[in-house]
Amino acid sequence: MNTALTSFWKLFNPARLTGPLFGKELRVSARRKRNYLLRFMYVILLTVFVVIVWLSVVEPQVSTTFQKSRMAVAGKIIISTIVGFQFAATQLIAIVMLSTSISDEIYNRTLGLLMTTPINGFQIVMGKVCSKLLQLILLLAISLPLLAIVRVFGGVAWGYVLSSLCITLTAAIFTGTLSLFFSINNRRAYVVIIKTTVTVGFLFGLLPTIIGGVLMAPMIFGRGPQMGSYPVFWHVLSHFSPFYAISRNTAGLMSPGLPAGVAWFYWPLHCAFMLGLSVLLMALCAGIVRKVALRQVVGQLEHTSKRKRRRRGGKSSLEPAQSEDAVGVVRRVRGSPVLWKDLRAPLIRGVEGRNSLIGLVVTIVALLATYAVWAHEGYLDENFTHISYTVVFVSIAMIFHIVLSASSITVEKESRAWPILLATSMDDWRILSGKAVAVFRRCLPVWLLLAGHVVVFVLVGYIHVIAMVHLSMLVIWLVVFLTCSGLYFSSRFRRTTSAVVTAFGLAFVLWVIVPSVLGLIGAVSRNKYIAQSCVFANPAVQAGVIISGASGRYNARADLGSLRYNWLDGNLDIGSTTAVLAISMLVYVFFGFLFAWRAKCRFRRNIF
Amino acid sequence: MIKTKNLSKDYGSLTAVANLNLTIQQGDIFGFIGPNGAGKTTTMRILVTLLEPTHGTAFIDGLDVRKKGKKVRKLVGYMPDFMGVYDDLKVFEYLEFFAAAFAIERKKRKSIVDGVLELTDLQSKRSATVDSLSRGMQQRLGLARVLIHDPKVLILDEPASGLDPRARIEIRELLRELKRMGKTIMISSHILSELEEICDHVGIIEHGRMVFSGTLEEIRPRLGIESKVRVQVANNQDKAVELLSALPQIRQVQVIDDYISVTFGDDQEGDGIIARTLVNGGLDVTFLQPEQLKLDDAFLQLTKGIVH
Repeated sequence: MNTALTSFWKLFNPARLTGPLFGKELRVSARRKRNYLLRFMYVILLTVFVVIVWLSVVEPQVSTTFQKSRMAVAGKIIISTIVGFQFAATQLIAIVMLSTSISDEIYNRTLGLLMTTPINGFQIVMGKVCSKLLQLILLLAISLPLLAIVRVFGGVAWGYVLSSLCITLTAAIFTGTLSLFFSINNRRAYVVIIKTTVTVGFLFGLLPTIIGGVLMAPMIFGRGPQMGSYPVFWHVLSHFSPFYAISRNTAGLMSPGLPAGVAWFYWPLHCAFMLGLSVLLMALCAGIVRKVALRQVVGQLEHTSKRKRRRRGGKSSLEPAQSEDAVGVVRRVRGSPVLWKDLRAPLIRGVEGRNSLIGLVVTIVALLATYAVWAHEGYLDENFTHISYTVVFVSIAMIFHIVLSASSITVEKESRAWPILLATSMDDWRILSGKAVAVFRRCLPVWLLLAGHVVVFVLVGYIHVIAMVHLSMLVIWLVVFLTCSGLYFSSRFRRTTSAVVTAFGLAFVLWVIVPSVLGLIGAVSRNKYIAQSCVFANPAVQAGVIISGASGRYNARADLGSLRYNWLDGNLDIGSTTAVLAISMLVYVFFGFLFAWRAKCRFRRNIF
Repeated sequence: MIKTKNLSKDYGSLTAVANLNLTIQQGDIFGFIGPNGAGKTTTMRILVTLLEPTHGTAFIDGLDVRKKGKKVRKLVGYMPDFMGVYDDLKVFEYLEFFAAAFAIERKKRKSIVDGVLELTDLQSKRSATVDSLSRGMQQRLGLARVLIHDPKVLILDEPASGLDPRARIEIRELLRELKRMGKTIMISSHILSELEEICDHVGIIEHGRMVFSGTLEEIRPRLGIESKVRVQVANNQDKAVELLSALPQIRQVQVIDDYISVTFGDDQEGDGIIARTLVNGGLDVTFLQPEQLKLDDAFLQLTKGIVH
């Protein structure tokens, strides 16, 4: 019995499973200031959200009796808000934290060294995942006192708190492991982040929605039974997808007596499924990590995909590539050398030209399919259709601008080519302008989608021509501000991840946090204009307002003077709207150039 | 061609370079030697305008590196101690990119790139991607890049590190060729025997301070090292010792195995006197060689090997 226990302990001893890498990761992360900053920001954000929800539910200006009657509702809403926030935040943090876990080891040439020790691939993977997981658990633990206090208001069962934490944690473990999986073959953190986000979105969002859509098509078109007739699908879906699981769990809290036909949900089953999926992925990662480490030990090219090696002439994964072979066409440098070089890079690093083209074709076909569906439903002349397309295009373009500009210089720093470029006789403004133009040119396909949409529907007569002018103003300031701020962060930081995360952080603070905090102040001081003045500056709001005021079957054909734009404080005419847009354009362009100037000043600092 | 005046660079409380004074004449090959962390790379980075000095000034061909950065960069070719590689650029494209960066006209670029590829023996790798090259080939490519704009001054930080013996010899020959072309070369290396063979002058730096600058011949008196000659005679070693000990210029005569080590009081041409004395004394001289001061020995004596 004793021997059996000892064997069991030996096999499942946590220290053996994670290996010494776990301790090393914890030591290193304890020395990084950014981890403390992350915890601080997490608490601040959580508090802001909770206070906003509290004020909106309890309404401090009304009577105390009313407030007391709302306590139980407020408790439920606050806890569901915290759970929602935690669910989104921990997944995002897990993806970012593990996005460089293996690529850093490869880049620092320590993965091969690890393979010369008794540490195995699984211990490397477990060590990385568990150390980051511990930090995530710490973040979740930070909110526990808040959850406990809010529970005093009543109406929230402990079971909900526990199930939500478990769903959140297992989802974070899976997304973190997926991020680690992508980090094995991708050196750039932002590529890993994008790939992981897209995969998670596809697996747990798009795929179930498509399947559900296909299954429910007869119901949608009114030729089949109601949704309740597909219980099996919803049962499976709520256990397979963490998004559906958390929303189903929260729906159970908000409306305990759910009607018949709504999916049966048992959260431990979902958590077990997610954990099983994560373990499978970890096992896969362990195998691949070992192969990559061996390649490094034998002096193979790091970060080079199997396909790329084959393209270069290496037949097997361990065979060196034939460097002297002529590969492809040698292209001559034309125009600005910086622009020429940057435009050679694929839109997403790690995704080769052919795959980019396939991606573009698939996107356009999918886009045309959505237009066909809207046309079939007769919604193309409705303004909400065009608001959706415009906001989606603007959001995608913003993401591309942030990622490409923030990685523009750090990529060169990481490949150690930046000092060599600075040692040439090109002046700093020329390098900066080359980089900025390259970012814009690389984002152009996304802007062209927006332009195409607007031009086509202006010609068709569903969007007013003035929207082109207003959208141009929006695009100008977005391009200038996002490109220049991204370039500044790229010159400020050495690592791409830091620059990209900070650039996203700036956008998030400017357009989400600041309006939220001002909204809070406005709610307390009963001054709605404080928040509204900030919301005006949000590009998504601007895009929505521009299109909502100038599209639709009535607006598109209306006179300029009769157009009304629905800004948050009421309707504004075209003159006022143009003035609002012009002022925000001037302000953002000014700050954009300020960022560009600071970027130029920082070019030659901290380059080694 | 290169001159520094009280050049200093501080990183917070750490002084990497302290009041460095250095002069390198046009057409010279200057070997820059020092232990790890002595300040060699920092000095080179200041000279190529990648770092700002905290105090002092540096001049390249009379141009202040602080004020005339762009002009200085046109004059200088810098090869750092690491190879900056652009993913997915081919060798020709990589070199043409830098040619364009140095504002060389497009129609001239092809012939210039072909020229440096030939000089560095990289024609066969013209279409290979840069990141697929071996370390030695990348070093050659780095050298080719440095030459692309035909600079007057080459500043090479450890160009031979990580290279195999054949590649090192080839780089050495290439540097000699560049010297013949009139280039001024500042080179740092840890392989002192190689610097010894190609350098006209050396500078030894420690803790950011220049502890010696001059020719190898100038090191001996600086260190207070006496000239020595090793002699071997075919017969009657005792008589040889007796004859040599009688000479007033000779300070010490020692028998080491079948050799006689003769020490002179000052740095003078002692080998002629010794040969004449022994031949006149009827002895057959079978071997006579002045003992060379090795750069390694000088380096060890001049530096304390303390890393800060």
